[in-house]
Amino acid sequence: MSNCIVTSKRAAATNGVTMMKRCFQSGDLRRALLSLLILLCLASCAARTVNVQGSYPRPNIPAIPLVLGVYYGEGLSDFMYTELSDRGEEEYLVSSGDTHEVLFNTVLPAMFERVVVLDSMEEAAARGVDAVFVPRINEFQLGMPQKTRLDSYEVWVRYNMRLTGADGSYIADWVMTAYGKATASSFSTAERGINDAAVAALRDLASNFSLGFTGVPDVRDWLQRRLSQ
Amino acid sequence: MIIKAQHSMLSAWFKSMTSLGLLLLLQACTTTTIDEFRQGATGITSEDSVVILGRRQGAAYETRAQFVECVGERMARGANAINVIPEQQFVDAMFPWFEPRTAPLRSEDLQQLMAQPLVTEIMSGFGVRYIVWLDGQTETTSRMGSISCAVGPGGGGCFGFGSWEDDSSFEARVWDVSSATAVGTISADATGQSYMPAVFVPIPLIARVEANACSSLADQLKQFVQGG
Repeated sequence: MSNCIVTSKRAAATNGVTMMKRCFQSGDLRRALLSLLILLCLASCAARTVNVQGSYPRPNIPAIPLVLGVYYGEGLSDFMYTELSDRGEEEYLVSSGDTHEVLFNTVLPAMFERVVVLDSMEEAAARGVDAVFVPRINEFQLGMPQKTRLDSYEVWVRYNMRLTGADGSYIADWVMTAYGKATASSFSTAERGINDAAVAALRDLASNFSLGFTGVPDVRDWLQRRLSQ
Repeated sequence: MIIKAQHSMLSAWFKSMTSLGLLLLLQACTTTTIDEFRQGATGITSEDSVVILGRRQGAAYETRAQFVECVGERMARGANAINVIPEQQFVDAMFPWFEPRTAPLRSEDLQQLMAQPLVTEIMSGFGVRYIVWLDGQTETTSRMGSISCAVGPGGGGCFGFGSWEDDSSFEARVWDVSSATAVGTISADATGQSYMPAVFVPIPLIARVEANACSSLADQLKQFVQGG
């Protein structure tokens, strides 16, 4: 193919049309065009991936004088949501694991005196943490303007939050929901709309989590016991 | 030949002047009503700032950030300009206290919020004297007419007539941060009819309803916080 193009470029000065005909007759150009057409078709048919990216402000709240371990395990780091088209084909793949880690790595250090990111639950005791926080995504829903007939992209997420002792004992287990939307007419592409709606949902989670954490009954009881020791 | 050219030029000039006149006439078809309700005395110094925030609690609609920005920009320019803190900058700095689900809904909630030392510290840093909550939206109603367009080998074009009405309704509640009380409410209602005649080419004659609501509300808010 490249030879053919080089030859055609050289030939253009003298007799480009003849050379192009020769190239086409040789089949190289025909094969290349066919490959390009197939590639274009596959690209248009393939699901588009949205790696959610955003930045989150640090909460302005008083820090709890404890050391918290956080474990980003299965169900968060590797979470991938698949949006299907009306025909049941994969349309969008929304990956939000990295941005969730960015969010918790911003929010948790403002909430606790010290935060330790754990590679496994087993290392919690050795790292001297008071508790281990394990967030997990239970459900993810995406509202696309063409399906909802609304002028906005919407993201709704349900989380399972778990707090255990360093030895894995139960402290608290609760559910949180987050919602975010982004006006469709503000975006040139659906990917950007999905991204901004997801970032808005994560910001909603961050605000509710940081303000509501000490209000979760089991967490509140544990904090009272722990801080009075 | 010369007479024909002059006639053609006159005709074109007449057509463009008629279109311009019609455009001005139709663009003027926007009515704006401003209502002010004062609950307390106001006043602002050059050291003080105002923050304008959009209400986004409702599921049905949310106040557009562009409208909030428009009001802020208009208040911050011209004679007796006021220091206006950009909405996103303030909301980020105050995180998580002014998010859609956590923002104070009543002035009493502001009193509780100001009891937080971190919040008071940031507010003082910004020099915020007044918080203005904007709540409202622009709705399009009464769509009428139709325009059809066609393309053929010899060219294309559109023919028809369309019209619609825009209705903007916004309310601005002003809170005095120093006393944590509500000092007044200003509401702006604007309506206007837009037209789209199409003879070969669609000619949009858009009533600038939201822009008028923005400028009227901003001017009134400016006077209000200055105590006028």
